[in-house]
Amino acid sequence: MTNSILLLPIYVPLFCGLVVLALRKSQRVKEGITFTATAINFLFAILLFKHDIVVSLPWAGFGMEFSLRLYHFSGFILLAVAFFSFLISLYSVSFMRSKEKLNQFYSYLLLSLALVNGAVLADNLILLLFFWEGLLLTLFGMIAIGNKGAFKTAVKALVIVGISDLCMMVGIGLTGHLAGTLKISEIYVPANTIGSVAFVLLMIGAIAKAGSMPFHSWIPDAATQAPLPFMAFLPASLEKLLGIYFLARISLDMFKLNAHSWLSTLLMVIGSITVVLAVMMALVQKDYKKLLSYHAISQVGYMILGIGTCLPIGIVGGLFHMINHAMYKSCLFLTAGSVEKAAGTTDLEKLGGLGRKMPVTFICFLVAAASISGVPPFNGFFSKEMVYDAALERGALFYVAAILGAFFTAASFLKLGHAVFLGQLKDAHKNVKESSPAMLVPMMLIAGGCILFGVYNVFPLRHFIQPILSVQLLNVPDFSGFPSNGMIVLITVLVLAGALFHHVTSAKIMGGGHKAAEHIRHAPVLSGIYDRAEARLLDPYDIGLRVVHAICRVGWWIDRAIDSVYDRFCVSISQRCSNVLRSLHNGNYALYIIWALIGSVAVVFYALQ
Amino acid sequence: MILSAVLAPLLGAFILPLVGKFSKPVRNILALLLVVFPLAISLALAAFVLNGRDVTSIRILPLGFNFIFHADALAVFMAVVSSLISAIIVIYSFGYISHYDNQNEYYMMVVLFLGAMMGLIYAGNLIFLYIFWEITAIASWRLIGFFRAKTDVLKADKSFLVTIFGALMMLLGFALIYQQTGSFDLAVIHERFKGEPISTLAVGLILIGIFSKSATLPFHTWLPDAGVAPSPVTALLHAAVLVKIGVYAFARLFVVTIPLLDYWHSVIPFIAGISAIVSAAAALIDTDLKRIIAYSTISQIAFIFLGLSIGNEVGIAGGLLYIFMHGLAKAGLFLCAGIVEQNTKIKDITQLGGLAKTMPVTAISFLFCAFSVMGIPPFGGFFCKYMVMAGALQGGHLFLAGMFLFGAFLTILYLLRVFTMVFLGESKTSEAKEGDPVMVFCVALLAVLSLAGGIFIYYPNQVVTNVVQQMLVMHK
Repeated sequence: MTNSILLLPIYVPLFCGLVVLALRKSQRVKEGITFTATAINFLFAILLFKHDIVVSLPWAGFGMEFSLRLYHFSGFILLAVAFFSFLISLYSVSFMRSKEKLNQFYSYLLLSLALVNGAVLADNLILLLFFWEGLLLTLFGMIAIGNKGAFKTAVKALVIVGISDLCMMVGIGLTGHLAGTLKISEIYVPANTIGSVAFVLLMIGAIAKAGSMPFHSWIPDAATQAPLPFMAFLPASLEKLLGIYFLARISLDMFKLNAHSWLSTLLMVIGSITVVLAVMMALVQKDYKKLLSYHAISQVGYMILGIGTCLPIGIVGGLFHMINHAMYKSCLFLTAGSVEKAAGTTDLEKLGGLGRKMPVTFICFLVAAASISGVPPFNGFFSKEMVYDAALERGALFYVAAILGAFFTAASFLKLGHAVFLGQLKDAHKNVKESSPAMLVPMMLIAGGCILFGVYNVFPLRHFIQPILSVQLLNVPDFSGFPSNGMIVLITVLVLAGALFHHVTSAKIMGGGHKAAEHIRHAPVLSGIYDRAEARLLDPYDIGLRVVHAICRVGWWIDRAIDSVYDRFCVSISQRCSNVLRSLHNGNYALYIIWALIGSVAVVFYALQ
Repeated sequence: MILSAVLAPLLGAFILPLVGKFSKPVRNILALLLVVFPLAISLALAAFVLNGRDVTSIRILPLGFNFIFHADALAVFMAVVSSLISAIIVIYSFGYISHYDNQNEYYMMVVLFLGAMMGLIYAGNLIFLYIFWEITAIASWRLIGFFRAKTDVLKADKSFLVTIFGALMMLLGFALIYQQTGSFDLAVIHERFKGEPISTLAVGLILIGIFSKSATLPFHTWLPDAGVAPSPVTALLHAAVLVKIGVYAFARLFVVTIPLLDYWHSVIPFIAGISAIVSAAAALIDTDLKRIIAYSTISQIAFIFLGLSIGNEVGIAGGLLYIFMHGLAKAGLFLCAGIVEQNTKIKDITQLGGLAKTMPVTAISFLFCAFSVMGIPPFGGFFCKYMVMAGALQGGHLFLAGMFLFGAFLTILYLLRVFTMVFLGESKTSEAKEGDPVMVFCVALLAVLSLAGGIFIYYPNQVVTNVVQQMLVMHK
């Protein structure tokens, strides 16, 4: 096996993506190429896993090399990425049919896959950024081909992610300068003052890619406007994998953060805030996809919190949560697509009682929802327990935030499931049928994965996650099996039971599953905040734009002021000067004689001296 | 050989109006040939200069002033870049300018301008540098005032006066250098300044000239005003060639010939940083399509200055690379704006919208060029932005990097704002058709070149590395 085989996971999807883009018609051919390419890519990923390969080619000079490195961690992410893109391409084939306008979607999907593979394998920071930022283009394209008005969200996403990527670019420049190399595997930067600046800049890029607060606000907008497989593909799985992968790389390898660093606390604070605020927003959503998109933000908080603790159990938990989240969240989005395709809407008020009509979708939803809520013995439970354990060790407040997030997560999924699948079947949906096998198979496979990774968590932990750390920390204790801390498990179970009790009672009082969270929506202090959030007053993007516009006004005034110096001041000065000179030449002979005399006297004096 | 690259367009320009009396197509072809000729010569020189790493120079001494043309890697690089972009712009003009009067004058001035540009690039003597500098000012004065309305002529006068003022200041600076060294010959000056620092006053005066030509704060406001010119002219002047004169002179004088004192390596980037932010801010507020792109040029020129003035290898390489990439992308933006303007007769972006449906190729070309200027991979601008930033950070200027980071934020914002308002959303104008095929071909070519420049970064960077090494070897 030659080393250049490592280029194939980048070139194959890239080439196929370009071919698909060039093809004008024939939807079937595009689907076929996409499916085959993702399948081949999946095969590559399986074959390459557990190998160590390094490739290095000359590229742009100045330390910028085209160097790729396959080792355990990147191989694992490569595998996960390949798995999800394979299933989502299978799903899209059925979902996208009859949506001819969206046929650019396939080429963007393949191009994204190529870029993600490149970013995961890159062993040079600039090469990483090249692929990483290139994702902006496919992101922009995928959102822009959505429904009318989607381009505004596409622009918003491009601005938010573009700006954070610029921060990352500066961070990379600084890291390269401090470390003296851009080769990721050789970089070590101590987290002193200037090192911390570099870390924060890189972290901004990583968590913005993962969709954490305050870089999240395009995701809920995209949820309702972009084509659905996009949501399952980029924000729910691939971008999370990539963002958290890079976050782990910088905090574990490149900066070797420890628990005493303020950067660790910063990460934990960002994580906790993201968990709580996003889940509070999720709770009151009235749209299936939008609700899920807020959870996609909220769950990132757990990963950042876990990695931010800088404790082995937290890091393992965070990384385990990353892969678990990609599974259950893409599964949830796929169920949303299944419901949308069958019922024609994702508005919770118009849905209900679909459980009997779509049993497979319902079961998949149940498994994934139980996972995300952290119900034992599904996979989300185990990863969350580890994060809780680490958070509690670092500070009770972080633990409270995490457990609060768990309560609201459970509450909002009870509300969602109740509103969509239980209750009264609406008249409009009497003839609803279960989706086609091409859509069901990916959901079932992922749901099966959720159970497998939960019940038999020894397998993912020992084979995928823990070896990642063993490079850095020589003795990683084995965290597989049932959580050791019984107290935390007990609290979790109590909280989940509380959420169930809360839902049942409030649904009964409010009348209907979709209204179960209304009393929180209208609680005294919260209602004011929710009102503002729903009026889009709290969107960091809008606030940021307003601030920037204010600054730009100042810049504009400065510019106009300088311009008026040229247009008014210079003109009037020269006019005055010429007026004075003109008044000396008024045609009066007497005046001219006086000038001549003064002049001659001056010459004489000069000559005498 | 160098002499022919300069003289052919310089003298040929005056034949064009005569030819134009008889046949327009012949004149057009001849104009293109006169532009392509220096490109071919420069490419031939490039093969020679880059491989042999040898400096060729031709000296003729008819006057007291040494008449020196001198081709080194930097000059060849700059000549290739500017004549390549000019050639594309001339092809575009075939479509664009055919609707207007005074075509003979137009082609004459464009070719004259390029000839003067070649002379300026290859000049090895400060006085000739100055003379060619002024010829470009005269040519651009006529070109900006191409449409004869009163305001157009006034704006042309304004840009002429500002740049001439700068040039005279620069001439004073040259005089001071002459006082110190007794020569206008760059090679001699280089030898003389090896041990001894140059006076602050001389640097300051020359910088005024450079800043006024390259439209840097506070001498920048003529550039957006010059947007009244026909679009190929704005592309030629603002994007590709004219504003790069100052940048080139900076590289030629203060990177290659005369070493600057340390504090200039902070002062110049700082001025450039303010220029980047103020002009980007203005671009975000203004509503005239061409003015916005002109402000964007000012702001991007500041990035080039940052790279060149920071004084380390990565920065200089990034600055040079950006001269090339920015030229391509910005020419593309202006030419797209020209298509939009000619077909809709509107320049105010608030009255435009939804053009992507009727002009898809223009829209995509505009977007590609915009991505390159924003610095998004795989477009060429990405590498330039990174290298310039890395240069600033290697120099230890964290604050400067922060300023330019903000400038880069604003770049993303204003370019996307323009794109959204012009090409997306609801159509506000009557059906606008795609432009003339020749024009659309040119913008698409520029967009593709911007993309290819990033994907095949290996080749341009190989050249740039070579150029930088030669520049810095001379330093020692």
